[in-house]
Amino acid sequence: MTLAIGTTRRPALSLRRAARPVIGTAAVASFLILWQIVGANEIIRSDLISYPSEIAETFVAMSLSGELGRNVLATLGEFVQGFIPACLFGIACGLAFALSRRLRYLTAPLFAALYSAPMIAFVPIIVVWFGVGRDSKIAMVFLAGVVPIIINTATGVNEVSESWVRAVRAFGAGKWQIITKAILPGALPAVMAGIRLGVGRAIVSLVAAEMYVSILGIGRLIQVYSNSGRAAEIFVLVGVVSVFGLGCVMALRSLERYLAPWRAER
Amino acid sequence: MRSLSDKTERFLLGTLGVVALFVFWEYAANHNIINVAVTTSPSRIVVAFVAQWQSGDLLGDLRVSLGEFAVGFLLSLVIGVALGIAMGMSRMVEYATDPFIWFLYSAPLIALYPLIVVWLGFGYTTVVAVTFLLTVVSIIVNTMAGVHSVEPVLVRAVQAFGGNYRAVVTKVILPASVPLIVAGVRIGLGRALLGVVLGEMFSSNAGLGFRVSYYAGRLRTADVFVALIVLILIGLATDQLCKQIEARLQAWRA
Amino acid sequence: MSHLVVENLRLAYPNAADHGGFLALEDVNFQIGDGEFVTIVGPSGCGKSTLLMLIAALLKPNTGSISLNGTPVATPGPDRALVFQDFALLPWRTVLKNVELGLELKGMGAEERHEVARKYVSMVGLRAFENHYPHQLSGGMRQRVGIARALSVAPEILLMDEPFGALDAQIRQVMGSELLRIWERDRKTILFVTHDIDEAIYLADRVIVMSASPGRVVREIKIPLPRPRGLDIRNSPEFAAFRHEIWTLLEEQVRSSGSWEQSE
Ligand SMILES: Nc1ncnc2c1ncn2[C@@H]1O[C@H](COP(=O)(O)OP(=O)(O)OP(=O)(O)O)[C@@H](O)[C@H]1O
Ligand SMILES: [Mg+2]
Repeated sequence: MTLAIGTTRRPALSLRRAARPVIGTAAVASFLILWQIVGANEIIRSDLISYPSEIAETFVAMSLSGELGRNVLATLGEFVQGFIPACLFGIACGLAFALSRRLRYLTAPLFAALYSAPMIAFVPIIVVWFGVGRDSKIAMVFLAGVVPIIINTATGVNEVSESWVRAVRAFGAGKWQIITKAILPGALPAVMAGIRLGVGRAIVSLVAAEMYVSILGIGRLIQVYSNSGRAAEIFVLVGVVSVFGLGCVMALRSLERYLAPWRAER
Repeated sequence: MRSLSDKTERFLLGTLGVVALFVFWEYAANHNIINVAVTTSPSRIVVAFVAQWQSGDLLGDLRVSLGEFAVGFLLSLVIGVALGIAMGMSRMVEYATDPFIWFLYSAPLIALYPLIVVWLGFGYTTVVAVTFLLTVVSIIVNTMAGVHSVEPVLVRAVQAFGGNYRAVVTKVILPASVPLIVAGVRIGLGRALLGVVLGEMFSSNAGLGFRVSYYAGRLRTADVFVALIVLILIGLATDQLCKQIEARLQAWRA
Repeated sequence: MSHLVVENLRLAYPNAADHGGFLALEDVNFQIGDGEFVTIVGPSGCGKSTLLMLIAALLKPNTGSISLNGTPVATPGPDRALVFQDFALLPWRTVLKNVELGLELKGMGAEERHEVARKYVSMVGLRAFENHYPHQLSGGMRQRVGIARALSVAPEILLMDEPFGALDAQIRQVMGSELLRIWERDRKTILFVTHDIDEAIYLADRVIVMSASPGRVVREIKIPLPRPRGLDIRNSPEFAAFRHEIWTLLEEQVRSSGSWEQSE
């Protein structure tokens, strides 16, 4: 066994660099093959664990029937409607908290509580307040997404370098220009980090809310198939939710590269 | 206000904020500005709290939830640190497990929970398993990062003094990884609590997570808030505890 | 003709520890003529940066006045352009965009400021790097951007706070002679703060020596060395005499400030 400590500091040989994807792919491939053999031959009951080829077939069937598309669209719609307001409100709120120390202190315990609370515990009460329809899902996305955005924006603004503000001020910037030309761009990476955190929390809360009660959506499908104990369908849905999350992360990455190329290149 | 120290001001304003929220809530509820049946009010929550306390329900739920929380979390701590060190020290293991860990880390595991119910049935075991799964990944990932952050010089120093493999792990790698492990623990604790609530809400008939959903279904909003507030307090307390430990470690390192 | 006039300047930083605050500058007086290159040297912490901040109006004096061309200085503005020791470039802007900052704040249209900024980027020799971000540049290049940014707003006076302090010795000399080259072309008034006695003499028409904290003007020394000056001027006996004079003054200041006794 070789010690891999401090590997990040050592220049990697090209052979070493190739080892990672090769070994990784091999591991995933052998896992899939093993799974296929065990599942397809009913070594373990396939309705419990399914197997890759069955999952693929199920995916195709669910896509063709339109069931997947309809529900994915419903979830996506709820997500967008809740998350965009969360971003706008979160950034504005975070900015206000950063600029007013009193306001920040006044609200700090409430936001600390919301930040460390398990978000999905709010699902039932949100459903009581907003009903079983889409509104409760949108509200849940908003609530789960907005807290980290507010906190990260406030922290980011507070940590904007004094030197940037001084530079802008020295060339005659007014209060508003200080905000738009130094503070907001300087805080952008922190804001983006908050948004990324918010996305993760919002997706989990949204799926949980849909699972809890709903008419349409990925969470609802998961609930339906879990009641009928269908492993293949559930695996398809796990994949769909993961791709959804991954898509969000990738979209945010390219947004950040576009908005803050000076950081992406580092 | 000038004479107040920043710390006192922070404390006073924070308290004021919380108190103001509850006062306003109470006022709005009692003057029909908001619908009490749906939003309840602080005084009703207090009454519900006392009732739940005296009947022993609250204590029972608390015991169940904290039990699952503790078992799920400790399991993931032990297994997570062990796996993390193994993965951090061996390239082969790291490369082979990397895709799986990465998947578990980025996939919303909530979607997997129905399968766990199918496998493990309804109740305690499932809740612990969900908690474990949600928690262990962040601990593995952080432990691995901790091992990678160890200066190779330190390892060589121990080896030079005749230290064997176990000495390297216990005397260098583990202590040096502690700060990052604690950071992982902090993330993990939040996820563990989420796991407990998730498991209880969807596949159990006991615990605070179950109660939140149970009372909500019966529109007993004051009772919902009792459970919710207790959960929030658990979250806050564990997070603050971790923060304290992190601050201690920082002070010790500096 | 006097250009910048600083009179009876006094500044105390409000400080919780001792009432009345920390006295950084006390009774500072001096004048700078149009097109003059003046350098300031003084012991560390004597209030040189504070003085520049006051002239830039990023700080307000307790007493005293500052006027530029007969008009009292009240708010920050592009007539006094600062060059910072830490460069203070905005990392999210390219070289060109950084240089445009002051023009933008002046309200100049996009096309025009583009053109103006280009001119100054070329002047400091960064034409090929105009689309680079600050983190892709060396320290010397970054400060060239800082200088181009300051020059681009066509200020009445350039305020430079140890602009080359963060650079190593060799780059420092090169930057100094480049600054002289630019200055000799358009004779912009410059007030330049430095720790480096040689740099102060080499650049200046006049050196202002400041006392240890609280800062005062101890002496003003005219430097009538011929221009244009080459780097080898540092080896001349006249230069050595100035060096000796300033060195002696500063040493006195550091000794008499008795920072050891005070700290007890
Ligand atoms: N914001 C502040 N609050 C309180 N004291 C300050 C503040 N800024 C500077 N000082 C103090 O005022 C004095 C003058 O500071 P200043 O930065 O102007 O000195 P300086 O001559 O530029 O020093 P250096 O040569 O190190 O750059 C120093 O003793 C410093 O500690
Ligand atoms: Mg200074």
